[in-house]
Amino acid sequence: MSTRYGMVIDVDRCTGCGSCMMACAAENNVPALPQASARTGLTPLLVRKVTNGNSGESRREAFIPIMCMHCEHDTPCVKVCPQQAVEVDKATGIVMQMPQRCLGCRYCMTACPYHARYFNWWDPAWPPGMEKSLNPGVAVPMRGVVEKCNLCHARLHSAKEKAAVAGRREIDLADYVPACVEACPTNAIHFGDLGNANDPVSKEAHSTQAFRLLARLGTEPKLYYKSNEAWVRALAEPDSPQASEVQRG
Amino acid sequence: MKVTRRDLLVWSAGAAAGLLATPVPWKVLDDVSIWSQNWPWIPQPTRGPVEVKQSFCTLCPKACGLRVRMAAGWAVGVAGSSTHPISRGALCPLAFAAHQLNWHPLRLRSVRHGASRSTWAEAQAAFAKASKEGPLVVIDGYPGRAASSVLESFAEKQGGSYRVFAPAELRALAPYQRWTGIPAASLGYDLENANMVISFGAPLLDGWGTPGRFTRLWAERAAGMRDPQLRLIQIDSSLSRTAARAWQWVEIREGSESALASGLAGALHEQNLVPAHIPVPSMTLAESAAQTGMSVERIRELARLVVAKPPALVIARDDDPPVAALNVLLGSLGKRGGILRHSERVKAYVAAGREIGNARAVLIDASVPWGFVTQGDAEVFRFGAWDGGATKADWLLPAPGFLEELTDLPTAPGCSAPTYGVAPALMKATAEVQSVAQFLCSLDGTLPTTAKIIDSRCEELFRRREGSVYTQEIASMAKFSSVQSFKEQLWKGAVWAGEPALGQQFNCSLTEWPISTRAVSAESWSTDWSAPVMPPLASKLYQESGLRESSPRRNA
Repeated sequence: MSTRYGMVIDVDRCTGCGSCMMACAAENNVPALPQASARTGLTPLLVRKVTNGNSGESRREAFIPIMCMHCEHDTPCVKVCPQQAVEVDKATGIVMQMPQRCLGCRYCMTACPYHARYFNWWDPAWPPGMEKSLNPGVAVPMRGVVEKCNLCHARLHSAKEKAAVAGRREIDLADYVPACVEACPTNAIHFGDLGNANDPVSKEAHSTQAFRLLARLGTEPKLYYKSNEAWVRALAEPDSPQASEVQRG
Repeated sequence: MKVTRRDLLVWSAGAAAGLLATPVPWKVLDDVSIWSQNWPWIPQPTRGPVEVKQSFCTLCPKACGLRVRMAAGWAVGVAGSSTHPISRGALCPLAFAAHQLNWHPLRLRSVRHGASRSTWAEAQAAFAKASKEGPLVVIDGYPGRAASSVLESFAEKQGGSYRVFAPAELRALAPYQRWTGIPAASLGYDLENANMVISFGAPLLDGWGTPGRFTRLWAERAAGMRDPQLRLIQIDSSLSRTAARAWQWVEIREGSESALASGLAGALHEQNLVPAHIPVPSMTLAESAAQTGMSVERIRELARLVVAKPPALVIARDDDPPVAALNVLLGSLGKRGGILRHSERVKAYVAAGREIGNARAVLIDASVPWGFVTQGDAEVFRFGAWDGGATKADWLLPAPGFLEELTDLPTAPGCSAPTYGVAPALMKATAEVQSVAQFLCSLDGTLPTTAKIIDSRCEELFRRREGSVYTQEIASMAKFSSVQSFKEQLWKGAVWAGEPALGQQFNCSLTEWPISTRAVSAESWSTDWSAPVMPPLASKLYQESGLRESSPRRNA
């Protein structure tokens, strides 16, 4: 049976420190271009702050890391790509982006309901010498193509190489940990195989506290969130009656 | 056959139309775009053998354990070291891009005298002259290191004074030093055994102490629980990052923490929740309520909550005596889950203020936060790895950057157990730098070098045979047959850690309820980041996510 890599993010544990964003950007050689703005910057993982809309001591805040949801069914970005530059890897369930095929039309960005794709407007650049600090396992991002989270594919390759050297066909999941998962100081991000019913992450994804963003679209995202707070769960569907209640405070 | 102009035009149009039906133009277009996306001058990562080394973050005194991925001699990735007994694999967000800081555009690459470029020889001559002419003040921001010993010895030899600009976690422990005589740097919070933590504005989940220590504890014992094992009550004037995740957030007026502490003490006495012989504040509950914006009943309720799940530990953001006195009231000094003394070998220090009296020269180490500026006419020699812009320093001296210098790491502020680690220089310096210890040793050849001091400290730890060494396994000190094998482990990034000293009696001289000595300001989240610049990635990501505000100076 093929693997379906996915995540469960425990929103109640997230303190919004941003370590996952930093680790992701450093791992994937994201350049800090001074000309980039909040709209044009390249940010495969972005932590968003949400509130319950109340004021005073009843006000609550939560932090929701947003990245590619690795949709499994009718994956919107795959459907619209004219170049076949996006595909769902059948062996892993990871939605793969191939920059060499991408022509930069940005249909996928329009189609993505999670705004988790970013266009590379500029050639990557760093202050002189800083290229020595880049991760040699990941190519620098090309200008003119769309980028997104690929669940640290370079780390998957390393785990595969390690398994091959050891004479194993399957990787040890302990060898494949995406940078954001490794960096989280509160262990809020759990990564595992959703296709394996015995995997703790798969069990968590089926708990009553788990939810997916915009689940009604039917794209079957492999990124789950989890919270004991009803107002946080209600935000997953912005048009739902519960969410309207939350926004009204 | 005569070729007419008309034929040429027809053939050209036909060829152009026909070419479009072939793959050639599309292939050429594709190749051109790929070629232009991969210009030869686009930076490429360093290639070379990759290895992982254990070390420590040296950018602030929190001393988090690191796993540094190195390629061809350069750090290309930083992650937390899960074998570190205090930070337990967690880091502050800035550390993940700390390896890029050495190439920051604001890196200080040469000696500066005023606005002009100078040399190390001129700086040494000027410092030697100034320190001989009059009183010298040496300011350290990271006390307890081998380099601190060099600074202190030099100041002593010159008849000057050695002062420390301590981080907020140490300043918050200063009242206990005044009441018990025990140096603040030898005290720590026993968070691991506390069941109730009442934070008066301390950003416990936002970089306070060794960042991984409390966040890991909170994640294990409190996160997402309705009735957590570890109750965190956050008293804050706004919904801070810690308040948002606390078991309870108590909203008060900004700057009224001392008033609430006095009110709480009154409410604890009034409801007989603490022993009667402890000093009673003169402030009434009504006065406290008026200052904090809370109701009297809410303060009484809070007092009942504070004692509901002992042991309770109160943590102040800064030096705030009324808040600190609550721990005396609750009997938390020297008790499990309270405030413990981790070492008897740590000396008390003189706190550095902006006033430096009649000093002729001031030497400021790179560990002192850039925002610290002295007042007076003294000639200021400031070490720094980055040029943070406006400063009163007459001389700016380039210091080693991230992992460019050998240093040792004493117990982090606020820790209840003693620790010791050694961070060797993993990378060669990218500028002509000298550490403050090298600078002083070159002026006075009789001073011991940091390497010698680190060696003697390792030997002392080995002789005492206490504690354990944390690597992939935990090895007791008894397992080391020689000091050499112990040193080797430490130089490879292992951590020595002792046990917290439980059951030590504190003789507390607090007889009257203290008054607040100064206003505790709500400082920026990154105050303890002593470097004047942030990694460019941090500036970018916080700007794009809107998660944090950072001052424009740090956004370089």
